[in-house]
Amino acid sequence: MAPEQYDVSGVIIEKPSAASKVFNAKNLLKVISIVSLFVLWALLVRFNVYRFGLLPTPADVLTWGIEWVQGKLFWIDVAYTFARVWGGVLTACLIAIPMGLMIGWNKVFSDFTFPMVEILRPIPGIAYIPVAIMFLPWEEASTAFICFIGAFFPIIVNTITGVKTIDRSYFRAALCLGSNPRQIFWHIVVPGALPYISTGMALGMGIGWMASVAGEMISGKYGLGYRIWESYTLIRYPLIVVGMICIGFLGLASSAAIRYATKRVVPWRKAITESLDESITKR
Amino acid sequence: MATNAQTMTDTSDTLVSQTAVWKPVVKRSSWEQLKRKIFALATVRRISSVLIFLALWTVVVRFIPNFHQIPPPEQVFLAIFKIKVSVFFFEIFRSLYRVLSGFFLGILIGFPIGVAIGYSRILNYLLFPAVEMVRPIPPIAWIPLSVLFFVNIESQIIFLTFYGAFFPTVYNTVGGISGVDIRLPRAGMSFGVSKAQLLFRIILPAASPQIFAGLKIAIGITWLMVVAAEMIASKGGLGYLIWYNHTVMNYPFVFVGMGTIGVIGALCSVGVDRVGKRFTKWLDIF
Repeated sequence: MAPEQYDVSGVIIEKPSAASKVFNAKNLLKVISIVSLFVLWALLVRFNVYRFGLLPTPADVLTWGIEWVQGKLFWIDVAYTFARVWGGVLTACLIAIPMGLMIGWNKVFSDFTFPMVEILRPIPGIAYIPVAIMFLPWEEASTAFICFIGAFFPIIVNTITGVKTIDRSYFRAALCLGSNPRQIFWHIVVPGALPYISTGMALGMGIGWMASVAGEMISGKYGLGYRIWESYTLIRYPLIVVGMICIGFLGLASSAAIRYATKRVVPWRKAITESLDESITKR
Repeated sequence: MATNAQTMTDTSDTLVSQTAVWKPVVKRSSWEQLKRKIFALATVRRISSVLIFLALWTVVVRFIPNFHQIPPPEQVFLAIFKIKVSVFFFEIFRSLYRVLSGFFLGILIGFPIGVAIGYSRILNYLLFPAVEMVRPIPPIAWIPLSVLFFVNIESQIIFLTFYGAFFPTVYNTVGGISGVDIRLPRAGMSFGVSKAQLLFRIILPAASPQIFAGLKIAIGITWLMVVAAEMIASKGGLGYLIWYNHTVMNYPFVFVGMGTIGVIGALCSVGVDRVGKRFTKWLDIF
């Protein structure tokens, strides 16, 4: 198929054909990259470099994974972990977003609450595990609580930053046009902070998934984190890797879902959200 | 650059220096300044926020039945004086050693990889998809495999902290480099800089704010990792201190341990910030 040609100021540029868009050097290198990751893994295990012989091979992981996915237990685990993470993170959103909006907007409210947020923020969520076990009556809630704590601080900090970065002249314009505080809140503060809130939520979701694994490893009866730890104690090593891959995939999907949802809600600042995502969420 | 801006404003009246912000100078004695700061309404409110929190804590513990196991604030405060200082500092240094060695290992390996991915297109295609495949797996999920793989508990924990620091470093280095204003390297190239100069004098300094933002995230995650790893490995450190005191039902010490982790974690992130400020002094001019 002859490529279509078009002429720009005397220079003939070939329009890339559909086939060359897929099969080019760039994509070849990308495929090599991913394939070599697995080949390296398989070779390291096969030839028992250092202690790699103890780890499962990719083939093992695949066969165990296929078997496990067909069982009922897998879906129970997924459902449990999913419910805990989303429950914790969404509760964190419900509390952190209004609080962050108020802290960013209202100086007095900020003075009364923000110092305490700053004091509690450096304590990692995982350090709360003993506390969660202490006061929550059932184990489900304790993992969700860890996710809640983990997600709370990124969300609130991003919301505050979002409000603080709103152009001051919007407020002045609104005041000049005679709007009351409620209108300013709903028409300026909330929409203006939304891109940052979206970033904070995606970030919180990531940390929530991380925290859930730790919570489930230490306490719990179901869940992917628990299954990983149980597979370790029962010497079913391929399942550890299968569980890790599942957690990674689900975490990625959750963050992507949030980003997609907020992109639909904030179409007017899509470009800004994307550049923020580039700079902040990429961890 | 600062002197440049000044001479510019002197010579031409159309350019206005953005740096010069004049504040009226009122001389006050330092004691008066201090008094003003202390008795300002905002400061009073800020201090009262802590008091409100403590009051809430006490009320919750006293009156809600589920919370009765949580010690009230005064018990936690009194527990601070019962600490065996030598043991406590030993645990702190143990955790700090693990965090810092993981963190610096993460920089040592992650930073060059980030530079390679950001700077070279071919290496980007070769390395980035592989990095992208591994990244979504949360570092805590690696605990069982690292326990399996490493004989030595110390190296298990350091591997986990390293893993926590690695991805933020790589990602923010790549992001910082790809976010550099294309005009800067072009200007450099038209002045005829070499490849090494282009990287070390133009691209890396321009990318450094985001690189240091990444390092700040990295040190936060290493603290999280060290707590999780120590809780599970149970071989000393602050995370183990918390877990141990929880199992022997010595609850006030759990809170003391959490507070210590918070304080030291905050100090670490302030330290990274300070170092970052030193490297990005030019940001103040803009």
